[in-house]
Amino acid sequence: MINALWIVLLGMAIIFAVLGILLLVMVLLSKLLKPGEKQEKKG
Amino acid sequence: MDMATGEFLGFLHLSWQAVAMLVIGGVLMWLGIAKKVEPVLLVPIGFGCMLANIPLGGAAEADGFLAILREAGIHTEIFPLLIFIGIGAMIDFEPFLQRPYTILLGAAAQFGIFGTFLLAYLLGDGWLHVLNFSLQDAASIGIIGSADGPTSIYVATVLQSKYTAAIVVAAYSYMALVPIIQPPIIKAMCSKEERALKMPSVAGTISQRTKILFPIITVLVVGLITPKATPLIGCLMFGNLLRACGVVERLSLAAQNELANIVTILLGITVGGMMSGTEFLRPETILVFILGIVAFSLDTVAGVLLGKLMCVLSGRKINPMIGACGISAFPMSSRVVQKMGLEANPYNHLLMHAAGANVAGQIASVVAGGVMLMLVPMFI
Repeated sequence: MINALWIVLLGMAIIFAVLGILLLVMVLLSKLLKPGEKQEKKG
Repeated sequence: MDMATGEFLGFLHLSWQAVAMLVIGGVLMWLGIAKKVEPVLLVPIGFGCMLANIPLGGAAEADGFLAILREAGIHTEIFPLLIFIGIGAMIDFEPFLQRPYTILLGAAAQFGIFGTFLLAYLLGDGWLHVLNFSLQDAASIGIIGSADGPTSIYVATVLQSKYTAAIVVAAYSYMALVPIIQPPIIKAMCSKEERALKMPSVAGTISQRTKILFPIITVLVVGLITPKATPLIGCLMFGNLLRACGVVERLSLAAQNELANIVTILLGITVGGMMSGTEFLRPETILVFILGIVAFSLDTVAGVLLGKLMCVLSGRKINPMIGACGISAFPMSSRVVQKMGLEANPYNHLLMHAAGANVAGQIASVVAGGVMLMLVPMFI
């Protein structure tokens, strides 16, 4: 039972960590390749 | 007479399980053909189910063609991986690349996988012992929450679950039921004011270089941290690179059409062939289907909860409903959120924001599958 709880906690933590790193890399990449390309305006 | 009953009179060997499965096969085909519920999959699955349950037919027995397909395509995990190349070539990740923060919504929505896994394990070997669910079975049932058929097949096969056929049928059928499962949960969690919240439109396009580098970087980041996800994310992103690079249009089109269609036919009929009465008709199968609904519901709840948090942190610039699209049921959940947004405010167009979260959910569900494959063997 404790094993299952560990899987849940570690699983969610790893998913957020991996995707968080991917998010950072993609944000950096988009800034490096096209600085100032993305402009947000009220829709 | 022995020869006659052995070779010609299959109906004399009909068991109640075979009859029940022939009816289930018929219902699946009816759902696909008459009700247009995931016809691309339910028609081949229903037909395969019918073939597998004709007594003395031998289609799904040792040397039968369905057994050979199962061995060659499912046990080797080749079919789901080939399907992923096609899916990768079909997906346009631009809505996500314009809103990279939506990847966090995708991450949150994977909680359905882990919450359902915990519940299944509690009902099985973990505590109550009501049902015969091992840790591997519970993980395979939880993965229905990835809302992604190929990932479900891949994980259940690698973990050698006893319930692979039920898991796959549940995963595919519930994707079609997203418009029924999600709206009541979203309505219960978001006020009309929240549902009516407009989001800023994103101007500008993503550069071609970013689109090309995205699949390569994703494989490197995901693969280096969760290596078990490499085959799945690798095939998905390979397909996407074929689309994004712009120099192999022929291959991209082949992946989107010929490859995806051929493997879908083979996968569908093979999964149907796995639905033999003795394997499928067990109390656990009903529980697998119930837990599948739980998984989709928990996905939605977790996604919307993070959406609400982002809404507050962003100064109400993010509509919390798009969190529900963190499940990878693309494009159904995007359409659900777009429709609900328009109902709350006729000028509220959320489709592209929702699509961003939706394709982010596709990546997140693959990562979740890899994480499950990595963690479960460590704790057995």
